[in-house]
Amino acid sequence: MPPLDEPQSASEVEAEKPALPPLSLDWMQECLEWGTKAELGPHGLTARAINIGIYGDIPDEWEEMTRMPRGAYPVEGVPRIDLYSLTKKAELWAENSPELYEEAVQRRWIAAIDIAWESIPPLPGEVELALCQVCTELSHHAMAEGETLGNWLHRMCYGYHEVKNFLATQAFDSARHVEAFRKRALLHGHSMGLENPGWVNRRMLEVRGGWTEASLYLYLMRGPLTLLLCRYGEAYAGTAAEKKLFRLALQDKARHLAYGMSHLKYAIEKKGSGYALGLKRLLIGAEQDLAKEMQDPVLWEALAILIGGGLHHIEAGMAVVKRLQQQYLDEYVRRIQWVGIEKTAEELAPGLQEYLAPVASS
Amino acid sequence: MATMDRTLSEEKIAAREAGYSLGWLDQLENRRMVPAVDSSDAMDSSDDGKGADLPEWSSNLTARPYEAIPRPGIPQIGAYSFRTKKEVWGYNLRKLYEEAVSRQWSSATDVPWHTVQPLPDDIEAAECQLATFFNEVEFVAADVPGRFISTMSPDYLDTRLFLMSQIMDESRHMEVFRKRALMNGGGLMRRVDSSTGVVGSSTDNARDFTEMSSRLHIVGEGGVLTLFRVGELMAYNDAEKTIYRRAAQDEARHVAFGILHLRYMSESVPERREEIHTYFDEAEIRQATGAGGENPAGSNALTSEALAVLLGGGKDKVDEGRKILLAIRARQVKEYFQRLKSAGYDDRIHNGRVNPALLAAVKNA
Repeated sequence: MPPLDEPQSASEVEAEKPALPPLSLDWMQECLEWGTKAELGPHGLTARAINIGIYGDIPDEWEEMTRMPRGAYPVEGVPRIDLYSLTKKAELWAENSPELYEEAVQRRWIAAIDIAWESIPPLPGEVELALCQVCTELSHHAMAEGETLGNWLHRMCYGYHEVKNFLATQAFDSARHVEAFRKRALLHGHSMGLENPGWVNRRMLEVRGGWTEASLYLYLMRGPLTLLLCRYGEAYAGTAAEKKLFRLALQDKARHLAYGMSHLKYAIEKKGSGYALGLKRLLIGAEQDLAKEMQDPVLWEALAILIGGGLHHIEAGMAVVKRLQQQYLDEYVRRIQWVGIEKTAEELAPGLQEYLAPVASS
Repeated sequence: MATMDRTLSEEKIAAREAGYSLGWLDQLENRRMVPAVDSSDAMDSSDDGKGADLPEWSSNLTARPYEAIPRPGIPQIGAYSFRTKKEVWGYNLRKLYEEAVSRQWSSATDVPWHTVQPLPDDIEAAECQLATFFNEVEFVAADVPGRFISTMSPDYLDTRLFLMSQIMDESRHMEVFRKRALMNGGGLMRRVDSSTGVVGSSTDNARDFTEMSSRLHIVGEGGVLTLFRVGELMAYNDAEKTIYRRAAQDEARHVAFGILHLRYMSESVPERREEIHTYFDEAEIRQATGAGGENPAGSNALTSEALAVLLGGGKDKVDEGRKILLAIRARQVKEYFQRLKSAGYDDRIHNGRVNPALLAAVKNA
């Protein structure tokens, strides 16, 4: 074969052209359900709208170990490409996945453009540092969350692509939170704060029993705290831009929790009380880890300074922090019960029960 | 640059006497000040695109954000396989990530679906076959990067952030093509065989980041990008044109990531050049034979017939469509050669190492 840049005659070129193989066109007849016509709705052509006919049949189990789309015409003899470990609907499904996916796409935001960074002045001394610390915590939450998703997404089979699609949006959200909270921490020339104590991160990242088990830590234990931090961040932020940052992150977290709660409830309904008991037992040890993390002063002191408006008001700030902690644990218990795990506040790890005591009035 | 007016204030003393620790506050006060982020600029101004401040080797095993202050006694949960910059870095990745964030789109509302009108059955079948193909293969570029995110040190933040944006893009591609197949009276068609005949390793099986990226971003996504770019030729309405245009925009970013990573590798890790060339050797066999099914315009690909129908304008005009398809294949190869040049691996074109079938594809067009 002469090099590319040496000219050939037209006949040489024609002679070298490979003959085209004969056409088959058999594939034109290969469709399990022709005539499918999903309809546009007020929100466009949604993921829910295309779940019609056989394409909307969500099987209880999916045995295909390739990326074959649900409803595609099967072909015999295609080698497996992976051994997906999550192949049962009860292991990952949430009925609201299609809607949450579309909501995630519609409510996308851009940290660089949607937050008026130039309008955020530096806070006084230690208050700015406290905010750096809180933002570092939130960035760390997001980092661990993204890693957890990366661990599990590729293990999910393609029979439940709605869930994979939604979790892809959550991975993207977590990237945005890592970036946005980092941006705020570094905005006025300070550094990132201390890393998180890591006990709950460890639970999230080390879990091997299944996605539902990972969801227990991601959505029941860690997620509600992240949500509350964003809520309090919005309430006590000093500028409209910072309030918006926390509010947008809060919106994302609410969506994540909507999936997680729905999945956990579905899994427990399908697998029964024995499975719920197993998850409850997992929480026994996990709550002791959480109690250790709750005892770490870094996040709480930083929040107290931020909320109080300075070191001189740290006590007043800490009173609000204690209400946040109580709210977190109260909600934690209610969420556990909502998904179907029979657990009461009295059964919480001892190190957590103390947070549920009423805050003494000052 | 902000400065601290007080270091050991009366308030701090009083707070400590009240039982507060505040050790974290001391550490933050004493830490070096970084250049303030220029709030008028989207990017962190400490990033010059070359990652000069990044550690060559990462000691971060606690999943902490880059530059967070490490603490003693934290469980080491990272166990990251990729802990050196030379394994995962690329130039200007932050800019690419920022572009990804700003160019997101919604398949539900940003595609003018109302412009899709009934098509002849052969055209609709071809559209659905192509859409089925993309519905099947797009998420490989989400699953595989996702796996690498969790095995890569968080210190290489820009790589991680970009890969997370790619997961989002591929999710959207998977579902937009599924939507197309199911909204105009057709349905999903035959699935793809992506494993038979693959020589060497595949994107799914790659254990090394550079191996994965060379195969996924440069070759696989590069070929698809060429096809998306000529979407006007195979689209029959504004909705399809929009899909191909938007998907091309996303895919171009993914390909750019691969080029930026490989360019960095070419310049910083020259001892791996021969190894990387072997990945291209394997990938070019797939391009030449159609094995792996990742190139929808490939010579033995099921989808090449569907493309010929679309490009020609019907099953009775498939010869004309095939001529156009040959030209597209040639363009795929030319653009692949250009990517090799941009990445610093075009020596394989000039020294005869490149697969001869690719050279033939260019000449025969």
